[in-house]
Amino acid sequence: MTDYRYDNRTVQGFILSAIFWGVVGIVVGLLISIQMWAPGANFAPYLTFGRLRPVHTNGLAFGLGVGSIFGLSYWIVMRLCKRPLLFPKLARVQLWLFNAGIALAALSLMAGHTQSLEYAELEWPLDVAIVVLWVMFAVNVFGTIVKRNEEQMYVSLWYIIATVIAVAVLYLVNNLAVPASLTKSYHLFAGVNSANVQWWYGHNAVGFVFTTPILAMFYYFLPKATGLPIFSHRLSIVAFWSLVFAYMWTGAHHLVYTPLPDWLQTLGIVFTVFLIAPSWGSVVNGFYTVGQDWSKMRSSYLTKFFVLGITFYGLQTVQGPTQALRVVSQLIHYTDWVPGHVHMGTMGWVTMTVCASVYYVIPKIYGTEIFSEKIANVHFWLVLVGQLLFSITMWITGIRQGWMWKATDAEGKLVYRNFIDTIAGNYPYWHTRTLAGIVFTVGMLFFVYNVLMTIRKGRALERSEAPAAPAAVTVA
Amino acid sequence: MSGKIYSKPVTFAVMATVAVLVGTAVTMAYPLVRPEMHVKVEGLKPLPALELAGRDVYQREGCVSCHTQTVRPLKSEVVRYLGSRAQEPTARYSLAGEFAYDHPFLWGSKRTGPDLAFEGWIKPSADWQRAHLENPQKLVAKSNMPAYAFLSGEKVDAPAVAASMRALRRVGVPYTDADVTAAGADVAGKTNMDALVAYVLSLGKAVNRGAPGGVDVDLAAANPLGAAVAAVARGKQLWDANGCAACHGDEAHGQDGVAPNLVDEEFLGQKGDLPDAAYFAMIKGGSEVKPALGRPGVADGGMQAFGSDLKDEDIWAIVSFLRNQKGHEATESKAEEAKEHHEAAERRAKDRK
Repeated sequence: MTDYRYDNRTVQGFILSAIFWGVVGIVVGLLISIQMWAPGANFAPYLTFGRLRPVHTNGLAFGLGVGSIFGLSYWIVMRLCKRPLLFPKLARVQLWLFNAGIALAALSLMAGHTQSLEYAELEWPLDVAIVVLWVMFAVNVFGTIVKRNEEQMYVSLWYIIATVIAVAVLYLVNNLAVPASLTKSYHLFAGVNSANVQWWYGHNAVGFVFTTPILAMFYYFLPKATGLPIFSHRLSIVAFWSLVFAYMWTGAHHLVYTPLPDWLQTLGIVFTVFLIAPSWGSVVNGFYTVGQDWSKMRSSYLTKFFVLGITFYGLQTVQGPTQALRVVSQLIHYTDWVPGHVHMGTMGWVTMTVCASVYYVIPKIYGTEIFSEKIANVHFWLVLVGQLLFSITMWITGIRQGWMWKATDAEGKLVYRNFIDTIAGNYPYWHTRTLAGIVFTVGMLFFVYNVLMTIRKGRALERSEAPAAPAAVTVA
Repeated sequence: MSGKIYSKPVTFAVMATVAVLVGTAVTMAYPLVRPEMHVKVEGLKPLPALELAGRDVYQREGCVSCHTQTVRPLKSEVVRYLGSRAQEPTARYSLAGEFAYDHPFLWGSKRTGPDLAFEGWIKPSADWQRAHLENPQKLVAKSNMPAYAFLSGEKVDAPAVAASMRALRRVGVPYTDADVTAAGADVAGKTNMDALVAYVLSLGKAVNRGAPGGVDVDLAAANPLGAAVAAVARGKQLWDANGCAACHGDEAHGQDGVAPNLVDEEFLGQKGDLPDAAYFAMIKGGSEVKPALGRPGVADGGMQAFGSDLKDEDIWAIVSFLRNQKGHEATESKAEEAKEHHEAAERRAKDRK
């Protein structure tokens, strides 16, 4: 029992760290959304849009995303293996290294140290740190799984194993670079190859950070929260293998109409369209699972987070392949449509699922209930409204600006020759996006408050139950 | 899938690895050895020291967050970014072979500002680029670009440029020992602003995308449209639609340090006006025409050629507009003019808000 207790504290440490970096990332996101319509808000060189945008994306992908993936994967792995982590102390070291790494990452990006590769901006010393972190994670996950006390590996473990493997391959290859100094390096690949390797990485970082580990959470916590078994094991199997097989082929859909050879673009587009099938395998599985008893939507407050989360996953995985088609790409690529698409996935699918998982885990650590279901419901509606307002606004302005770029008159002359004329009309939409961000942020603050109050309640409970025991070690 | 692998983690992990490596091998690894992924346009050279320093600044400031560097082979895009001027059809959009020394590629994924792949052809004026980077809203009132005036106060880090060249040489960019040795002298006294401007002006220049040269200058030719009201109105329309105002101002008064006034007593840096045909030639052929007009003018050859975008008749209409504007200026009292300028400045300040 002592071991279990210790591991839970590491899990909680990762969750709280993820929440902290999540708040930082979201606040930076709000600032850069303001900079889009108020250039005066670029207060100093290290606070300009160009430097802060990667702080926002890395802070949320690696801070909030990977932090919660570490914590919640450990929770899932321990339960599904029926044993504590094989190396609990290593996990504790990993937690501290993780926080130090993210802090240094944010500072280095603000100083302008960047590889200019999306989601792989960090320079090589930090890349080395991330590889070390990932090896620690892999050792603990595989070690614990190999020494497990449960014969069968459940679906969530498949997705976690796939995540560990795929991210390792992607990260190692795309970050191959030759250093010029401690803070500057040059990508090993040039031009079209640099682009192709980067988007093979970039798209699959989305696939194996924002999809497979989140599906692991979904498959584990949805049945736990609702008490309903997953609808079809066979569908889980088919969806898993087709997803991990097809994902790696699709990166070139980010490079449609660029100088990348056509055959690579076409191959990427074809597999992207195919990817609808495995994605919807999980969507259908999720819906039919809750479909066994829809009254859970009312009786268990977490159900709606998972149902909305998987709904946005479903929408995301149809919208994505649609965007990959040449005829759609030529209109919406490079416009605000794309941030709209990304934020439906991150603010809808990822945030909903991670928050619900955290709501499930934190009270379980202390053997108590959530501090307030009412606050969780307010949180739910605010992030839902904030995200919809964000995405829909960005889709509209993306299509609008895309058409203005293309508009030509009868003579073939551009109707909006001055680029600024196509930007001027974006401002009202960019104001709305900031408003949407504020609504979403307020929702997330309700979440943070709820989690912290639940922990406080849990600690008080511990003290009253075991007054003679030494004070609990806190990890935050 | 046999049920057994779900209780054998090692076998399972091997199978999952194979599953992710198939797509990796075909779409990531195999292209690395394909000849079409290793093309190079003729005469492609590595960036000189100052431009390389500028590229490092471009990376450091995250310019790639808002500016793409690929002109797609779409008609409207080729026209917008003036690839349509190129004589070779294949030079009208971005080519794989232009980027053979780009470590990493900087194509970007979001066009909050315009594409910059052909910027060296589109806005060849160093003065304009510098003034715009220092204060974008001064030249483009509604722009949302941050100001980069602080770059003018930063000296180029010469040892870093040499180190960059050595690192790039290791990944296959053919810098010579002489290039590395000379790097320090090449960037001596230069600021990061100089470097960034030099880099931006180099974009797209590896391929000839210039308009067909050789504009025939006939200074005796008269403006066939004369001072017709319709021509002046159309000229004003074309002036706005073709972005002339971005450099020369709404009323052709020019902007200090960016582009000259076209309605004062000077033309091409010398006192005394030239006939309408000189204006016509400058719009049609750009800065290259200056010597033929007998006025080599100021050093910055920033005027672009509009000969392939505008019909002769359109160009004459713009000349009509300029001439009308000049006549208007001459008859206007100094006091009125001052008042008008003041109002225009206020309007611009309001636009910015």
